Amino acid sequence: MRLRILPKEQVPGMVRALMADYRVWGPKAKGPQFAFEPLYDPAEMRLDYNISILSPKVALQPPQERIAVFRLGDGFTVEPVIEAEPTVIFGMHTCDLHALALLDKAFSADFPDAHYLERRQKTLIVSIECLQPCDEHSFCKSMGTWTADSGYDLHLIDLGETYGVYVGTGAGEALLTKYAQARPATDADVRRLNEVLSAKWPRFQHRLNFDAAELPSLLATAYDHPIWAELGERCLSCGSCTNVCPTCYCFNVIDSPDLSLKEAVRLRRWDSCQLDEFARVASGENFREARAARQRHRMFRKGKWLYERFGELGCVGCGRCIRACLTHINIVDTFNAIHASQHRR
Amino acid sequence: MSQEHVTGRKSQNGKPKVAFFDFASCEGCQLTVVDALQTHLDLLDAIEVVNWREAATLDGWDFDIAFVEGSITRPHDEERLRRIREQAKVLVALGACADTGCVNTLKNLLPPEEVRRYVYGDRAEWYETYAARPLSAVVKVDAVVPGCPIDIEEFVEVVKALLVGKRPPIPDYPVCVECKMKGNVCIFHVGGICMGPVTRAGCGAICPTYGDGCEGCRGLIPHPNENAMKDVLDEAGLSVDDIMHYFTMFNAYREVGTGKWE
Repeated sequence: MRLRILPKEQVPGMVRALMADYRVWGPKAKGPQFAFEPLYDPAEMRLDYNISILSPKVALQPPQERIAVFRLGDGFTVEPVIEAEPTVIFGMHTCDLHALALLDKAFSADFPDAHYLERRQKTLIVSIECLQPCDEHSFCKSMGTWTADSGYDLHLIDLGETYGVYVGTGAGEALLTKYAQARPATDADVRRLNEVLSAKWPRFQHRLNFDAAELPSLLATAYDHPIWAELGERCLSCGSCTNVCPTCYCFNVIDSPDLSLKEAVRLRRWDSCQLDEFARVASGENFREARAARQRHRMFRKGKWLYERFGELGCVGCGRCIRACLTHINIVDTFNAIHASQHRR
Repeated sequence: MSQEHVTGRKSQNGKPKVAFFDFASCEGCQLTVVDALQTHLDLLDAIEVVNWREAATLDGWDFDIAFVEGSITRPHDEERLRRIREQAKVLVALGACADTGCVNTLKNLLPPEEVRRYVYGDRAEWYETYAARPLSAVVKVDAVVPGCPIDIEEFVEVVKALLVGKRPPIPDYPVCVECKMKGNVCIFHVGGICMGPVTRAGCGAICPTYGDGCEGCRGLIPHPNENAMKDVLDEAGLSVDDIMHYFTMFNAYREVGTGKWE
């Protein structure tokens, strides 16, 4: 892959130019934290952010969206609503890039989801290499997501005065050509890149005490593990862990009529397997009533079931669920505890 | 609520007839309905108001739907509420006072004589009061609009649900869900206190969105993990007394019922 060099002072102008043609999402400061939001001024963008509260999936699977409109008039009509506009997500970290690959598979499987896929197809990704872990909760190195060699249109690496840019797709190439003036890398740039990436390596720690590839087989032994009851005692069932998760995609569908009862919109809204009523079915039965069963379900989705379904682990090691949990339910500690107990036997 | 379609008893113009009543309350929830009429003009195309002391000179008793604000604080309130119940096909508790008892039920935590002296002074014996309670302690309530005050959009959603004969879509999940969906910084992460993890959503997490912790005005979710929540508040530095204050400010009836009064 050919490395290009983008002087940092070009970035605000590049973003401003992109804003004329695309909705541009980027990391912005939000109080003491960061959030992915549409940019209205390139100066708002904080490429030095550590982690965003919600993952940038909000640009592709919004918390709530309209998916159809019903009308009662001379007859009954249903029209799908597909809200997709040309979009650039700027500054995505590689953990979220790996998560996006999983979302793409999930929304393409069985019944391709036109709402997501149309938006995805109109979205370009400019990712950025992390040179240090977000904080003590990051475990991207253990999950193999602390870097990426695909999934982006452009990928930036901070070289100090400049960004090294890898071009991942033809669309990325076109974007770089049209909106910036990158130059080819010199030998000195390549040496600088190697220094930066070499310095990155020791800053990241493995936090799983075993190889993440063992997770599916480890969990296969742990369905009746006592740890689930312990997590169930602590869980508030607030759904924060799944709402901040970059790979969670479950939603609920709600029909909302207007007051004339002649027109209605069908909305879909994020849902969470951690909520009390998530598994209530039409007969009135709730097949996952206990908090312990719901936490087990989440951990199994992340460590086993999504892997079996899509060939990718459902956890990318971003640590958002750990930061969001007020009762300190920690997916790394949980996996490590199961691993330790299975090895004591 | 009743499976029967509320539109079964329509006025001649085809709209369900609606009445508003109040008991012990600040009447702010009815004011919010007045607000809703300004932002949703089509409400009056959908319903016909036949009785509303606060906002109209109407006193009809031929209503299908009764929205009742306020909690019950006197034995003789019960008789009036029962009359409303007998007439209404659908009785809706409007706002926290009617739904959960709200701050009115704080008095249930205190000795009755002390409270009556404090409020009525040396005329205390003139006034007949008893422990404050939500409507559901006296009559069957078919639907609720939670909150102190109610949320305009949620009120409109409840009206729509009643028009089509469906159970109103009041969330049974906590405020955290809506707060996260807004991408807010968690109040606990900036040193605040918030009852969001155990409080019923539906307000759009309005308080945390503007930087204040949730105080639980919409009542608790159906199965709150109270022990875990108390641990969270303890870790945030609250004393046992303060934790109880957070659990009782809007939800004393849930915690102690009629408390020291019976």
